Amino acid sequence: MDPLIVTQAINLLYAVSTLAVLALGLAVIFGLLGVLNIAHGEFIMIGAYCAYLIQSWNLPYLVAVTLTLAICGLLGWLVEWIIIRPLYRRPFDTLVATWGLSLLLRKGAEAMFGLGYRSVAIPIPGRVALLGTEYPIYRLVLIALSLAVVGGLVIWYGKSRTGSRIRAMVSNPELAQAQGISVRRLAAGTFIVGTCLAGLGGVMVAPLAPVQPFMGLDYVLRAFFALIVGGLGSASGLLSGSAVIGGFDSVISAATSATNGYFAVLVLAILFLWLRPRGIVARS
Amino acid sequence: MITQKQGPTRRTLLGAAAAGAALGTLPGLIRPAAAAGEFKIGLFIALSGPASLFGPTQKACAELAAEEINKNGGILGRQIKLIPTDAGGPPAESTKSAIRLMLEENVDVFVGSHDSATREALVATIKGKVPYIYTPVYEGSECAFNTYVIADTPEQQIRPSLTWMMKERNAKGIYLIGDDYVWPRKCNEQAKQYIAENGGKVVAEEYVPFGAPNKFEEIVTRIKSAKPDAVLITLVGADNVNFNRTFAGFGLDKDIARLSLLLEENTLLGIGPESSGNLFSSMSYFANAPSDAAKKFKADYVAKFGDKAPQLGLIGADCYGGIYCAKALVTKAGGTDAKKCMAASEGITFPTAAGTVAMRGRHVDKTMFLATCKGTEFDIIKTFADVKSGDECKA
Repeated sequence: MDPLIVTQAINLLYAVSTLAVLALGLAVIFGLLGVLNIAHGEFIMIGAYCAYLIQSWNLPYLVAVTLTLAICGLLGWLVEWIIIRPLYRRPFDTLVATWGLSLLLRKGAEAMFGLGYRSVAIPIPGRVALLGTEYPIYRLVLIALSLAVVGGLVIWYGKSRTGSRIRAMVSNPELAQAQGISVRRLAAGTFIVGTCLAGLGGVMVAPLAPVQPFMGLDYVLRAFFALIVGGLGSASGLLSGSAVIGGFDSVISAATSATNGYFAVLVLAILFLWLRPRGIVARS
Repeated sequence: MITQKQGPTRRTLLGAAAAGAALGTLPGLIRPAAAAGEFKIGLFIALSGPASLFGPTQKACAELAAEEINKNGGILGRQIKLIPTDAGGPPAESTKSAIRLMLEENVDVFVGSHDSATREALVATIKGKVPYIYTPVYEGSECAFNTYVIADTPEQQIRPSLTWMMKERNAKGIYLIGDDYVWPRKCNEQAKQYIAENGGKVVAEEYVPFGAPNKFEEIVTRIKSAKPDAVLITLVGADNVNFNRTFAGFGLDKDIARLSLLLEENTLLGIGPESSGNLFSSMSYFANAPSDAAKKFKADYVAKFGDKAPQLGLIGADCYGGIYCAKALVTKAGGTDAKKCMAASEGITFPTAAGTVAMRGRHVDKTMFLATCKGTEFDIIKTFADVKSGDECKA
């Protein structure tokens, strides 16, 4: 097969899988708790800075995962406790509150690291021959990791006891509380999982992008579009949304130009908001 | 005792209010006297937005120039007062600030280091009423009334470096990639002419939306299959970093040379050492430029702002020359009268971060450097002395 088409096909897979993993934390918090976390991108940014710090301390790259889970977990716990908990079921208020939070986190990063670009070296450099073409190994690893993280979380949510408790909380919080489920703790835990997932996404993409305080904005937009198109509260919604947004963007960028690809993403998001606001997979 | 601690009485409140009112009016009383003594420069730099990365350097370099001039008696005996103003947002915001600076602050001169879309809007707003000095790199052909350009032009930045690359590196097929706005498109118009003159051809010309969250896997794959000898890059900021990292990640850096037209120290730090192979930059100033003037400028900069000073680079260091240009222009013209400034501009000389330059046709002839990247440092491999701007505006 034509190596150009093979490479573009892998690019497509890469675009879809990384978008799914970057939207995952947002999907958890937005889909299950109904909180539109505008600061999602800033948690990605924090994860990327963790990767940068770990690398500048000459530690193994995987240590960044631990550092990110610690920092994003702690921040997620504080944010849920102080900002989000009083605002559940007030979607507009949480939107404004998390928008303020995103400004604060960005300025915090600016105060600590400055506005300059930081670069994170690719932990697994090089390329590998694949189907008659060459592809960067790290991007292939990212595809596999993204699918594993998304798949793992979906299976855990479907099979585990905590998963079924969360589902009980989502469908009827009062009844879940009456059944002895601590809704408050469960919601806090869900929020923390969401921020940690965002941080992990940041660790994953840090070697591919300039690490700087504003980087989160680049990811949060496509993640929102993926959720709008896919629909909230289900794994199939997340995956189909990522496939449509990431896929159209990648295919049209490959076949024509990046401008058309970006244009297609915007048009799709508007069409879905207009004609099918609950997304492809609407929760009943 | 307890009652007295309850808080301010009505009398103390009234007293405080009166004192506050008096303080509030005081600056107003002093202002006219001080204003006559101050030479106000509206300094348009990026304080917000994607280019705000350069803001601290721009401000620091302008302050350095102002401090040096003020120590030596200021401009026409008046001390410079810089008014840093944001030009990092949409052009319409900058034009509002320009009107405010002209009407309320009565600025004497504008100095601007910002993108070309903002420059075009500012030229249309200022309408030549106040001298306006434009400083970074740009696409050429700005000849508006009472506007003075000390920026690198395509004739200076692109022609020598691209010709060198096509001749020395035997690069014939050139791929053009840029952000979609006026600077990349006009630069590429010029570049196409230079490519044709050197017997090369344009393999493809491509633009990505400016300010969108761009990614470059698809474009790099397309470049790989188009097999150019070199890529001419007019992407800026994060797009420039993303593109170059993706380019090297896909292994194209070994066979395809890259010449980037807005690649300075900050951007190179983002690109990183693994992605900067076979990458070139062409500018009139690098922080490690070899001239004595550049070394002295850097030493003075570090002496004033310390080791933690904002990273030096062309975007920022250009403001230093901008302030000195204002001094030379206004001193020779004996004031800020537009017609007198226009007449005085021809032949003025003034220091910049890279050395002393002379103005000709409201542009500047200058020495250009071609650098290759060694890790995250620039290594100057070729110096083009006294390159003409190619843009000579009539009086």
